[in-house]
Amino acid sequence: MLRPEINDLLCRTGPGTPMGDLFRRYWQPVLLAEELPENDCPPVRVKVLSERLIAFRDTDGRYGLIDEFCAHRGVSMWFGRNEQGGLRCPYHGWKYDVTGQAVEVPSEPENSNFCANVKLKSYPMVKRGDVLFAYLGDPAAQPPEPEWEAYTVPEGHVFTSKRLQECNWLQALEGGIDSSHVTFLHGGNIDTDPLFKGSKGNLYNKRDLKPYFEVVDYEGGLLIGARRNAEEGHYYWRVTPWVLPNFTMVPPRGDHPVHGHFWVPIDDGNCWAWTFDYHPTRKLTEDEIAAMRAGFGVHSANDEAYRPLANKDNDYLMDREAQRRGETYSGIAGIALQDSSLQESMGPVVDRTKERLVATDAGIIKARQKLRKAAEALQQGVEPVGNRPQDQRVRSVAIVLPADRSFVDGIGDAMIAEPSKPHTTV
Amino acid sequence: MAGFVKLSVPVGPSSCARAATSEEAAFRIDHPLASARNTRVVALDEVAAGIVREAAALEWGQARFFTVRDPGPTLVEVEGGEVALTGVLEDTNTVVMVSVTGENADAVAVIGVECGARGIMTAGLVVTPGALAGEALLQLRPYARILLVPAEPDDLVELLKATRA
Ligand code: FES
Ligand SMILES: [Fe+2]
Repeated sequence: MLRPEINDLLCRTGPGTPMGDLFRRYWQPVLLAEELPENDCPPVRVKVLSERLIAFRDTDGRYGLIDEFCAHRGVSMWFGRNEQGGLRCPYHGWKYDVTGQAVEVPSEPENSNFCANVKLKSYPMVKRGDVLFAYLGDPAAQPPEPEWEAYTVPEGHVFTSKRLQECNWLQALEGGIDSSHVTFLHGGNIDTDPLFKGSKGNLYNKRDLKPYFEVVDYEGGLLIGARRNAEEGHYYWRVTPWVLPNFTMVPPRGDHPVHGHFWVPIDDGNCWAWTFDYHPTRKLTEDEIAAMRAGFGVHSANDEAYRPLANKDNDYLMDREAQRRGETYSGIAGIALQDSSLQESMGPVVDRTKERLVATDAGIIKARQKLRKAAEALQQGVEPVGNRPQDQRVRSVAIVLPADRSFVDGIGDAMIAEPSKPHTTV
Repeated sequence: MAGFVKLSVPVGPSSCARAATSEEAAFRIDHPLASARNTRVVALDEVAAGIVREAAALEWGQARFFTVRDPGPTLVEVEGGEVALTGVLEDTNTVVMVSVTGENADAVAVIGVECGARGIMTAGLVVTPGALAGEALLQLRPYARILLVPAEPDDLVELLKATRA
């Protein structure tokens, strides 16, 4: 249970809210690079942290992320003409560059300097791998550009997708932290999914359906260790890092690519579930990428607007027969939709005063506490963690350790990302 | 139309999640949730006892607070009275153990085994700020389904509040 004011504090991320201020200390993924595929391509609407913005790529390939609405009379710049180094409003022809600076106001006399005083709000946006990250916060507090391993590996090693999730970001994040649902909800998938099957870890998973958990507080957030019995005197550990505020990584299986998420608020009732898969030492295969596009692993099959084809309009293509046969636990196909269907069913912003948490929810309880403390501390001028390169060089780990080792000691450097270092996986 | 036989198809406003407004989607029948976890908190050493006593001073629904010493199984209530472990566990479904120093390993084992036999959920707080490994962790690990490592002193109160203890 959570008091209503704390629920509000954690869920609201618009401008001027404490959690909104916290989010505005981090680079966040806002677009797939494929959404701005070439110079002078059509502009794209971006809604993030309840702000309405327009992204475009100019004639020289520079990326711009600016206020959606023209400074003149408030027309959406989505209708704009992207031409000759800027985005031009189709109403009266005002034109802006990637910094939001007006560069032409055709109705003004030829050598007027009127333009110089017209500037739309703009935010820096950079391309990392196949993703565009933006920073919406105070320029004076701007952290170094993102260094998540998925976006520092060589080309061809990473594939990213995004899907619309029609509920508050925290509901989605909590699913990423809550390891105790995996055995139930996703139980049917690990043996059949082309992106999971065949790993030795799957055996341990199936032999021991009641894992124990250790939630470890570490610098950038939490490490959630799920432990199952392995060979005599050993445990099989699956270690999920959560980095503040909204990054989680799933522990790997065998030599499959390793995956993770960003849960990015669109507004208070919607978020983007960003999903990446990468391999630190090799390119992804064509088959793997095809499987990801088709919605296997933790990806989803989406329409052109990145909304899952199985969504609440069609009851997520619920298949009661598959549910009965045990092929899927919930009747919904695919891990991503298994999660989002249930999280969306909780309502746009779940009322956490009514929940009934149990001890195994301690990871969620601890994450909420850390988010609240970080948001409150920032209001007092204390800068948060999670936005520094060292916090981002993190990996999930799957490993077998002697029963008397602390898993943090046991994994040692395995959770630290380094170029071309193989990942630690079972 | 085989697909229609197999798949669930929303047929109207009452069965289609999409048709709900945010207010409707937020609707929940308003009835009080019982605080029925019957949580028992046990401090496993003197330092832990300090943390537990502080928590015990707050207002709780049904949580009760104890300390224990080797060899167990007798528990000591924070007010000082001795009680038998078995009696305390009778109507309990969650036991939270708090350890700082890793002492009283025998008592932990007694509690752990007893909880295991009765299907009582166990959680452990290893309150060793800054230290990830140590006696307290190893001592609790076999008996706590979920462990917080290292826990901060205020984690106990957070956990109890969140679980409506
Ligand atoms: S069992 Fe967890 S939400 Fe229903
Ligand atoms: Fe899940």
